[in-house]
Amino acid sequence: MSDVVVRRINTAAVAIIFTVVAIAVLWPVVHLVSAAFTPGRSMANMPVIPFSNGFTTEHFEYLFTQTDYLRWFGNTLIVATATCLGTLLFASLGAYVFSRFRFTFKRPLLMGMLILQVFPSFVGMVAIYVLLYRIGGLDTLWGLVLFYIAGNMPFMIWLVKSYVDGIPRSLDEAARIDGASNLRTYAQIIVPVARPILTFLAVTSFTAPWMDFILPKLILRSPERQTLALGLFSFVTDKNNFFTTFAAGGLLVAVPFVIFFIATQKSLIASLAGGAVKE
Amino acid sequence: MAVTTLEPTTGTVPTRRGPDSPRRRKVRRQAWLFMGLAHVLTLKQYLVGAFFAVLELLFLISLPQIVTNLANLVTLGEPALDVPVKERPNSLFMLVDGVITIALILLFVAVYYVSVRSALTQERAWPPDEPTPPRRRLRDTITGAAFPVLGLAPTVVLLIFFVVVPLVFSTLVAFTNYSAPDHIPPAKTIDWVGLDTFVYMFGGSATWTAALARVFTWTIVWALAATVTCYFGGMLIAVLLTENRFRVTPLLRAIFILPYAIPSVVSLLYWQNALNGAFGTVNRTLLALGLIDSPIPWLSDAWLAKFTVVTINLWAGFPYFMLLIIGTMTSISKDVLEAAEVDGASKVSRFRHIVLPLVMYQTAPLMILSFAHNLNNFGAIFFLTGGDPAVADTTTTGAGGTDIMVSWIYKLTITLLKYNQASVLAVMIFVVLAPFAIFQFQRTKSYREGEL
Repeated sequence: MSDVVVRRINTAAVAIIFTVVAIAVLWPVVHLVSAAFTPGRSMANMPVIPFSNGFTTEHFEYLFTQTDYLRWFGNTLIVATATCLGTLLFASLGAYVFSRFRFTFKRPLLMGMLILQVFPSFVGMVAIYVLLYRIGGLDTLWGLVLFYIAGNMPFMIWLVKSYVDGIPRSLDEAARIDGASNLRTYAQIIVPVARPILTFLAVTSFTAPWMDFILPKLILRSPERQTLALGLFSFVTDKNNFFTTFAAGGLLVAVPFVIFFIATQKSLIASLAGGAVKE
Repeated sequence: MAVTTLEPTTGTVPTRRGPDSPRRRKVRRQAWLFMGLAHVLTLKQYLVGAFFAVLELLFLISLPQIVTNLANLVTLGEPALDVPVKERPNSLFMLVDGVITIALILLFVAVYYVSVRSALTQERAWPPDEPTPPRRRLRDTITGAAFPVLGLAPTVVLLIFFVVVPLVFSTLVAFTNYSAPDHIPPAKTIDWVGLDTFVYMFGGSATWTAALARVFTWTIVWALAATVTCYFGGMLIAVLLTENRFRVTPLLRAIFILPYAIPSVVSLLYWQNALNGAFGTVNRTLLALGLIDSPIPWLSDAWLAKFTVVTINLWAGFPYFMLLIIGTMTSISKDVLEAAEVDGASKVSRFRHIVLPLVMYQTAPLMILSFAHNLNNFGAIFFLTGGDPAVADTTTTGAGGTDIMVSWIYKLTITLLKYNQASVLAVMIFVVLAPFAIFQFQRTKSYREGEL
């Protein structure tokens, strides 16, 4: 066989693989979008061919008028924003301190965090309820936020610390010679230079609460303090089957995520690969 | 926590000069005698000293309470069935208060040690021939010497109360009989039972032992299968995307990112409905296409459900490794590849001998971490199957055919209220994860460069 034929066969094979994978990826996405606009209530009403059973926006109206969707959205937004800000502040401050200072208990603290980051905090779920009950944090958004921030700390501090370690010390020394205090050096030298890693950290800690289920499930009880994941889940439990409402609500969360990820895919690839090479 | 603020390059580390001076001995004695005493009496750091002294006073005042809490931790309360429920001793609070008390004592000891170190460091900065210590303004102390302490204090407190205390508490519960129906506070008390629960789970009860063996094996198999399929699936797509320049490549990449971008609670709950045996679109589509004659029980057959969760997890998880591997492949230096081309290496052998080893070398550690992550991948199981379908022992143990350790813990905690058995599982997870902690530790730059 000549080279050309081999190359043609190769290209055809690759094209087939791509087509199959693309269909497998898109099939559920298209069906999800279709379900959000199809009349009816449950999965059983959904057509085999997407968009072939009429078109309606009633599920979105239902979502906004008959359910607490907006409130869930607001709660999740509050939790995500607070978690993101808290994680940013404490992780960057902690990373700076660990990278640039020597102090008592530095080694045990660093090692302790390294070990803790392997254990997901919800493994201690038996304790979470009792602990928050004891400090009055049960069924509150701040209780959830504190757990998220604490759970983020070990990994994030290490991540930022290894980045800050790579920032030349001559930068902060120059600032210090000019009379800047530690706090100023941190705020005006380290934070701006460490912006790439802090952006990564902000994005990860902001997006995680939108998808998390287990911690809010343990901590939040009352209907007005649910998050999006809990609310969406409640549409499709054994007792309820509001599949189309779920599809509409899910679509509204997924769209901003998809736009964001596709728009930032270049830097996403770079930061993922950067994380792999570093540390 | 922190005391000295010597930046390794700017500051010089004070070395010991001969035996301690009388002044240094005095400072040390005072500092150990009462927290903050040396700061007030000798170093004239009144505010800092007062702060430390107040801490010690608070500790001393709460000493009776501390002793009570510790005693309660040991006894966990005596059953008092003759008094109203509200007034009965609550073992659970005793347990959590006990753990918190121990944490506070350790924290206090640590702060005490820090205060002594702080006094000694300041004494060292005080020239021997000066009669009075160097004056420092409080503001300078906060932005200067105390900066590391203040910067880390919130983090340390958060970590202790929201990460360490829960982990310790969960571990302790494994050694109690905290479970429904007979030992649920506040109506009933709970007691220490030593290793009884472990014995019960590891051989004492045939049903539970069998369920544990089943769930544990499946957890390991699941984590392995999930990691390997996503890694190699992602690699295949990444390689094909980078090596073949179609006009639609950017579009394809955008499509393949979708499962990564869509929140898993949305996509997995969609799949759960779509794969429903009776009314799911998957079966109805296959029937309509004539590919199958009767519905396939994707999620209701114990074996098929295992296969299904791994497959759907591949759908959701391959884009992460695809992105990761595209990133590593594009960061491979062009010079190396060109040099190989000049030497006559074919495209295939360039890939096999240069690209593949480099990618494997850089991403293999993440594969191991991904395995650790999948061991506890609650969402992938819970949203898709909820741990179902039920198997023979499910009514007793709660563990379904696709339950992994964490989702079983969740069920034991939320529905069955078998907290002690859930905690035994948590302890098992700790043991399984420990090697990963060591692995994580050894691959840090700090460890390799001797900082730790």
